[in-house]
Amino acid sequence: MSETSCFHCGEPVPPGVELSVEIDGEARPMCCSGCRAVATLIHESGLGRYYDFRDRLPERPEADRAGDYLAWDRDAVLDYHATAPGADRRSIVLVLENVHCAACAWLVNHYLSGFPGVAESRLDVGDGRLRLTFDPAATPLSQLAAALDRLGYPPHLDTPDSGVERDRNERHRMLRYLMVSALGMMQVMSYALAKYIGAFQGMDAQTEEFFRLISMLVAVPVALYAGQPFYRSALRHLMQRHLGIDVPVAAALLIALFSSVLITLFGEGEVYFDSVVMFLFFLLLGRFAVMVARQRSGAVHSALARALPDQARRVTDRGTETVGVVELAAGDRVLVGDGEVVPADGRVVEGRGRVDESLLSGESEPRGRVPGDAVLAGSLVAGGSLTVRIEAVGQATVISGIIELLSEARRRRPRLALLADRAAGIFIAVILASSVVAGVAWGLHDPSRVIPITLAMLVVACPCALALGTPTALAAATRSLAEQGVLTANPDALEALPDITHVMLDKTGTLTEPRMAIVDVRAAQPDRALAVAAALERASAHPIASAFRTHDDGRPVIDADSVAGAGVSAEIDGRRWWLGRADWVAGMAGHAIEVPAEGIWIALASHDPASIATFGIDSRLRRGARELVAGLEQAGIEVHLASGDRAVNVRRIAEQLGIEHAEAGMSPQDKLARVAELQAQGARVAMVGDGINDAPVLAGADIAIALAEGAAIARTQADLVATGRDLRPLVDLFRRAPKVRRVIRQNLTWALTYNISALPLAAVGLVPPWAAAIGMSASSLAVVLNAQRLGRRTVPARGAASMAAGETAPGAA
Amino acid sequence: MNIIYLLIPLSLLLLSLAVWAFFWAVRNNQFDDLETPALDVLEDEDDVRKRRSSRQAAGSGENSTADEDRE
Repeated sequence: MSETSCFHCGEPVPPGVELSVEIDGEARPMCCSGCRAVATLIHESGLGRYYDFRDRLPERPEADRAGDYLAWDRDAVLDYHATAPGADRRSIVLVLENVHCAACAWLVNHYLSGFPGVAESRLDVGDGRLRLTFDPAATPLSQLAAALDRLGYPPHLDTPDSGVERDRNERHRMLRYLMVSALGMMQVMSYALAKYIGAFQGMDAQTEEFFRLISMLVAVPVALYAGQPFYRSALRHLMQRHLGIDVPVAAALLIALFSSVLITLFGEGEVYFDSVVMFLFFLLLGRFAVMVARQRSGAVHSALARALPDQARRVTDRGTETVGVVELAAGDRVLVGDGEVVPADGRVVEGRGRVDESLLSGESEPRGRVPGDAVLAGSLVAGGSLTVRIEAVGQATVISGIIELLSEARRRRPRLALLADRAAGIFIAVILASSVVAGVAWGLHDPSRVIPITLAMLVVACPCALALGTPTALAAATRSLAEQGVLTANPDALEALPDITHVMLDKTGTLTEPRMAIVDVRAAQPDRALAVAAALERASAHPIASAFRTHDDGRPVIDADSVAGAGVSAEIDGRRWWLGRADWVAGMAGHAIEVPAEGIWIALASHDPASIATFGIDSRLRRGARELVAGLEQAGIEVHLASGDRAVNVRRIAEQLGIEHAEAGMSPQDKLARVAELQAQGARVAMVGDGINDAPVLAGADIAIALAEGAAIARTQADLVATGRDLRPLVDLFRRAPKVRRVIRQNLTWALTYNISALPLAAVGLVPPWAAAIGMSASSLAVVLNAQRLGRRTVPARGAASMAAGETAPGAA
Repeated sequence: MNIIYLLIPLSLLLLSLAVWAFFWAVRNNQFDDLETPALDVLEDEDDVRKRRSSRQAAGSGENSTADEDRE
């Protein structure tokens, strides 16, 4: 790439833009005024090292959009969202947008800690949660929030009953189990090694006895303490009368542990304390990795935080006042301006405007609303300004209803792991039964050999390799997928992926970029037309305005005026310009302007006829969308497109991508019903989606894949989350899934073959306990090594440079 | 070889010390942020001092910062 890229966000600097900030004595190029503002702020705060620390590029910040957060200082809001650990202290959790890497956390923590009264600021990179303890008298929350917004991390209030504490406690508990088992494993292994060496070089009986005792002293408390998650889960399964995967695991741990204790105390022979703690450690390692992935993929409690605004303008007899959304009640009137999100369900009583409900329904174009029409919480007013009488707040809103639908769909989800569980349960029952039978038989025949033989059987049959086979393969696949941009929240999904026969895709925000883009420019001087249009759009909060932002070269705008539902006008370079609906611009400027009938077109003109320009606006196809559809069809998977958008838009995208089954105008309920219908015909359905309206469908599908860019609530339902803006990693995911399953099958076959063939040998007394132990370790090792093959990278990981560059590459024109 | 009867129990003592230290660290949230502290050591002392003095001139003299707020 020969073009200059922005020093702050890494995107190419559009031609004609000459913005820069002096950092470390050098003028650094900037692509837009938003980046320039943030870079200047970072530099002036003495936090310029951020640019050295970061390993991911930030989002391009919104220019001059630092909102006001005045309602956040109201007592009602603070009482609801914050705790008061001390007399003049408040502690609050904020959810930040655009948090990507450690450097973000470093920047935020250091920036905030410079404000007076800020006692603690800790940002979790994983979920973007900021824990803030501050003195409202020294620095009000609104100032801190506005500072975060200026820095490019718009904050949101978190709901107070959030599971942040619960997550943290769970993480702490797992860390303790993991560490105790790791330390215990190292100790017991060192004793075991001494014993093994002693066996060859000669060790007196007393020393050997001592090593056995000391191993027991360490292994018993470690296994009892760190094994708790397995014992608890096994107990819960048994009480529900079914043999879960944790039942054989807990049984193997406890049987090996107590038989070794009995041998140490009363008998003689081999002890297996080292195997017990090592087994435990690897099991915990797997559980810990799954827990971290699950917590990172987002949690239900913050889902609403990003979808709804935190404050609203309430209309009272004495004008308007800014209040927290928690203070609103049915019957209140609120004013919702251009570019603002409706805070609660209600009915328009005054004003008119267009409302964008894409997040809720998938409808891509805003629809007009006049007094008497209903509006829904979470929809965006795009063009115009409305006064809304509130009819439902909080739990009663439609958006809360969607979340309710979701938890229901989730309960109905087919349980994939059930079959594997049952097989393991049968296996462990067979082993226990045959050990008892063999023990009794030998007791009648030769009582002195009962313990060595029963033990050899238990050890040989120890389902170590069997238990490790699946988790190690899944862990290796999870790790290498994460490197390529697919997070695995539910590893079982990887195993089930090859069974998928249908993939249902959402359109808005999934196959297309969430933002509008300019796809066609018709003008005498395109560069100049774009620059003027971009300058004009600075005055507009309409979603289309963002499409022009890259072309803004900062030229001055005088006397800007925005006309709801029509467009904007202003004086630029000494001339009056109009930008907006073609008929409106034509009328104002006094020319005839023609635009094609299909698609969205907006016009720009001054009084000079030569200045007329028209822009085709469209939501662009996401990168990798074509590859994804082609790849899926090649793999013999039926691709369905289900969208809440209008039929014209859906048909166009379906034609571009060559998707045969496309349905438009579908509500979340319709989509869910469609999935259920396919499932009833025996299909296994994977759903790829991003919006709040997709969440129930994601929950009801056999496998749910969400985009990290999308609504938080969609991510919480997902088994797999694609982290980039590109869909290509999903192609790789589907290609790799059969390999994951193949390795798992190999592992299980090998483990079962070993166990089943060794069990009769042990039962007839041909396997001494030491050989059984070696066999068990070797079989586990083989399984682990086989699983590692999945960790090998097959496709080069996406670099930061390609991520940023693709943004401006033309997609579907 | 009799020395092992002393050394191994001693190692157990060390082990329990390590477990205790680890539990303490978990309780005090030392494992909550494993990423940003790694960046702090890369920062020049001059930057920190400059930032602090400029902020304190602007602020009310509150000197608690996240750089050193762990109890």
